[in-house]
Amino acid sequence: MSAAPQHAGRGWRARARAAPGVVRRAWVIAPALFALFFVLPLLGLLLRALTDGDVGAELRSSATWTALRLSVLTATLALLLAVLLGTPLAFVLATARSGWARVAATLLDLPLVLPPVVSGIALLTVFGRRGYLGEPLDGAGISLSFTTAAVVMAQLFVAGPYYLRSAYAGFAAADPRFAGLAYTLGLSPWTTFRRVTLPLVWPSLAGGAVLCWSRALGELGATLLFAGSLPGRTQTMPLAIVAAFESPAGLAGAVSISVILVGFALALLLLIHRYTNAPGAYR
Amino acid sequence: MSVEVAIGGRAGGFEYEVALEAGDELLVLYGHSGAGKTITLRAVAGLVRPARGRIAVDGRVVFDRAEGIDLPPQRRRVGYVVQDAALFPHLDVRGNVLIGVERSAEAARRWAELRHLLEVEGLDARRPQQLSGGQQQRVALARALVRPTDVLLLDEPFSALDEALREGLRRELLRLQRELALPILFVTHDLREAHLLADRIAVMDGGRILQLDARDRVFRRPRSRRVAELTGVRNLWEGEARSGEVIVRGLSLRTPPDSRLRGAVDVGIRAERCNLRRFDPDGAIPENCFVANVVEDLAFGNTHTLTLAPEGAGPRVLAEVAARPYEVLRVASVGRWVVELPADDLQVMPRDGSGG
Repeated sequence: MSAAPQHAGRGWRARARAAPGVVRRAWVIAPALFALFFVLPLLGLLLRALTDGDVGAELRSSATWTALRLSVLTATLALLLAVLLGTPLAFVLATARSGWARVAATLLDLPLVLPPVVSGIALLTVFGRRGYLGEPLDGAGISLSFTTAAVVMAQLFVAGPYYLRSAYAGFAAADPRFAGLAYTLGLSPWTTFRRVTLPLVWPSLAGGAVLCWSRALGELGATLLFAGSLPGRTQTMPLAIVAAFESPAGLAGAVSISVILVGFALALLLLIHRYTNAPGAYR
Repeated sequence: MSVEVAIGGRAGGFEYEVALEAGDELLVLYGHSGAGKTITLRAVAGLVRPARGRIAVDGRVVFDRAEGIDLPPQRRRVGYVVQDAALFPHLDVRGNVLIGVERSAEAARRWAELRHLLEVEGLDARRPQQLSGGQQQRVALARALVRPTDVLLLDEPFSALDEALREGLRRELLRLQRELALPILFVTHDLREAHLLADRIAVMDGGRILQLDARDRVFRRPRSRRVAELTGVRNLWEGEARSGEVIVRGLSLRTPPDSRLRGAVDVGIRAERCNLRRFDPDGAIPENCFVANVVEDLAFGNTHTLTLAPEGAGPRVLAEVAARPYEVLRVASVGRWVVELPADDLQVMPRDGSGG
């Protein structure tokens, strides 16, 4: 059975070895080109920012800092909400045996494939000033759309499922017999969740949190439609970049802010990786 | 101490109905997968709720469906060890063992005692991944025993280990059982393991206990053909029982004195209980013997399994001969033998497992 493919494999290797250098090098060159595809635009961005833009001026501008602060604040709030509300939901969905739980889990994946613009429109239909819930809320003096809260909602809607998905997969993969064992050892359900289940799924939760936060930080479409682009209130970094791009400064203004956002995100990612790979972190 | 179980219900795709009692002994629940062994242990531990029945541990009722009693696993005082997924991978040995107990001098003393008893000293700071399979199971045992425990539930605890390790752990479990003096319910599908460990054996099949008896009684006097099959009896024939004898394929065999069955029966004998005697052309054929020829000879290293076909009346027999007598008797060069089926080793069972 296995002899044929093995033989074919040897033949393939032999041919590769006998092939001219160019073919052999293709195996190195192709992935290198692919990597370049990601690196080059970033380099271009940096180069453009250094030549045309004025990163220093943007760094000194309070508008940039306002947008960055708002971005970090809203993305972090969205992540917090996703963790606080999403962890129990993911746990219940993953451990429930009913078919409805599986249907619900699939529905929660939907925002992942939805274009963010559609998400923004969907949010407007419900929470907008003329929305199904927005209108009565507006009557009660609570207005959601075009507020910072709306930014958080848009980010939660778009980025929350990333955390949910990862947490769900973690809980579903965790061996339920560990929890049963913990019960026989005298641990209450809550203690079991905290000291046994949670540490077991920790990598999934941490990974999901990083994804969720990154996605929230970059959210544009849903925020633009549902929250607008009001400096200081709803204009996060991505929106500030779009605004700069559309302003007379054009590309030059946009690249400078972009570089700041990329630099910030990169620094944070490195920090997170360092923390999660550190000895003592849950593995 | 004791444990009493009488439960029934549905789990996965099958119905189970299990009743057993155990004192300070090692009771083996033996059977194939799907026999209801694991569900029984999980019910005693409080991890599944049977549809009906009652469970008492050391006289305390921990489950009674009719009375609405269902103590959570935390309060049942059971130690539970499973085959894999035994230790929490994110905790070291000490963390694993002491996860459910209050930090106290008493707990530390108990752990020191168990550490010594189970020979897992000096491993406190190790992670489960850094332990051998045998060490992992010892630590799991220690963890199950570190809290006050009234019954120990072991679900195939050794089956993930290699044979040499299993041998040692079984011996230690027997020693531990003597020292702890508490009921141990031990689930296994390994016949040799069941035989080595058990004081009594519950032979389970299809969610039911077919026979619960002292170990030797189960092996010598299976209650039904199915029990005989499950416990590795390889010679099973239909027969007709009369007073003191049973007719198998036209051959009359004397039956054990305690056999009171009459009429259609199943007759069994373990392959290693069949004796071979040299054929003497001038001698008479003794009781429970008949002349047969070797038609197949399979060598299994330390034993040989011979298939013998009768010359006249009598059944076809599988006989197991140890390597040494096989050589001494020069079985390989002799085809014709007198096969003896000793009366005391004959198992006479009601046909189709009906009654008992």
